[in-house]
Amino acid sequence: MTDALARIHAAFADAGVTGWLHAVGIDSGAQLDVGADRPVCTASVHKLCLLVTLHEHAAAGRLDLTEQVECPPAGRTAGPTGLAAMLDTVRMSLRDLALLMMTVSDNAAADLLLRRVGLDAVNATTARLGLTRTLAVHSFGEMLATVREDAGPGGARALADPHVITRLRALDPARTNRSTPRDMTRLLGAVWRDEACTPEHGAAVRRILGLQVWPHRLASGFPFDDVHVAGKTGSLPTLRNEVGVVEYPDGGRYAVAVFTRTAHTAATLPAADAVIGTAARIAVDALRAEELRTR
Amino acid sequence: MDLVRHLECFVAVAEESHFGRAAARLGMAQPPLSQRIQRLERELGVRLFERTSRQVRITEAGRLLLAEARELLARSDSFLATARRVRDGETGLLRAALPPDLSGETVAALLADFGRRHRGLELELHELPTAQQLARLAAHELDVGVVNHPCDVSGLELGPVLRRELGVLLPRGAAAAGLDEVPLAALSGYDLILFPRTAAPALYDDLLTACARGGYTPAAVRHGQGASFVRGLVLSAGAVALCPRDAQPPSAGDGDPDVVWRPLTGAPLAWRHSAAWSKGRGDAAVQAFAEAATHALRTTAGATPDAPTRPLHLRPASEYWL
Repeated sequence: MTDALARIHAAFADAGVTGWLHAVGIDSGAQLDVGADRPVCTASVHKLCLLVTLHEHAAAGRLDLTEQVECPPAGRTAGPTGLAAMLDTVRMSLRDLALLMMTVSDNAAADLLLRRVGLDAVNATTARLGLTRTLAVHSFGEMLATVREDAGPGGARALADPHVITRLRALDPARTNRSTPRDMTRLLGAVWRDEACTPEHGAAVRRILGLQVWPHRLASGFPFDDVHVAGKTGSLPTLRNEVGVVEYPDGGRYAVAVFTRTAHTAATLPAADAVIGTAARIAVDALRAEELRTR
Repeated sequence: MDLVRHLECFVAVAEESHFGRAAARLGMAQPPLSQRIQRLERELGVRLFERTSRQVRITEAGRLLLAEARELLARSDSFLATARRVRDGETGLLRAALPPDLSGETVAALLADFGRRHRGLELELHELPTAQQLARLAAHELDVGVVNHPCDVSGLELGPVLRRELGVLLPRGAAAAGLDEVPLAALSGYDLILFPRTAAPALYDDLLTACARGGYTPAAVRHGQGASFVRGLVLSAGAVALCPRDAQPPSAGDGDPDVVWRPLTGAPLAWRHSAAWSKGRGDAAVQAFAEAATHALRTTAGATPDAPTRPLHLRPASEYWL
């Protein structure tokens, strides 16, 4: 395990990032901790908490996931994918909004769902699951508004300026949506053990997490057709996160949460994306070796 | 009324848009927080927030006052940092660091300027690469430094970012030495002499990426920083080095028979510096050092303000959008 820790630190350093990671064997409880209790900005990773809340409300009969929602283009939260990027009115079910929110990190879909259940409900769900360090303080649109406001009139271009990066409230865990790597693996463990929702809703949550389209982070560390990777990314200037579950054909299941911050302000940094997979793989390999030893 | 404490409450509620969360952040209960906001509104004669049953929204008047409130709080932090220095008996000492790539003239100008601004303050000055400065700033073993960007700026405040365009040191006999300006691609075939990656990892990667983009991918990177060592490698080992005009070895002028310095075509590479200190610890001495460093870089090293000029195309996987 100490060897794995050293290798993870070296991988982070090679990729030019500072990283925090927690990995847990969902059934064995074996774990690996690289700053797992450090407060981190969740960014779009918080959509996972919203998804679980939505299914909890559905299970309690407070809403019907097939309920159709009219989504006009006016007032949509900005974003490069899904409804956030569409130009016309769309009508779709709550569960399809959830699909877009998770698979392409659709900010507009996420805020429509958040408006439906409320921020306090999301925090009630994470509190109920014992995620004491996890808190949502604003919607995704509000989070992006703070970035816009702090970046100033220069817009996206200003995000290359280190000076601007130091003043982004969205990068300060005390002032934005936050969690810890350990809280996130706890949430994933609860989802995979059907403790967070009923088995029927748990299966729906797991299906959606398995349909995420991004190949460049967690999934890149597991280039095996017989290994299943499900996850949710989160990104903001200099932040790259992903939390997810990796399932092996022998039944081994591992929840991994990786949160990173790059030294560079560039938006396109493939090595920083890939190291999330590299670090997760080192961690999962170590957990599997540990399970083999103690079996 | 304790204005600073009340303004902290105002800023927290404005940023959280929620009394409960603002109270949690301030480590206090919600009722006294509400009372403080009401008291502040009474004292100022201005309504700062619209309250509905579920939401708190800042008023236009509140928005107008928010920036100044933040400024006042920052000044109060600086004041408290100075008081801490006085209390801890550190009045007489400022622990500062400079990177190894500044010229002697810049260092001398900085020291002279700082001495004028802060007579009687003892300066403990270290020569440290960026990575070590960041580690010591985080451990509060350093009060202020001058770092190379890009680097991880979490937990820091920065002075203005300045850039020094890089040129190339090459043997006089090289074909490219005959040019007034050298395109990066003309350096093909030469190894590159660069500082060790651990000194400033992100800058190291950034320079190699920019070289490759300009058509220069060195077969080998040799690590070295000392002027004589670099000169030796340039003269005998088929290697070139990058440095700004102001930091070229004194011998590389037109009089040098062996080594020449040439600007790079299109100024594709630069060193970017700024003063840096830990958030909330920027007292008067730190500010004076930061200003002296900025001034010295501008006047002796020809450093210019670094405003991002290149477009930034966010790709869909960035997940955010402005």
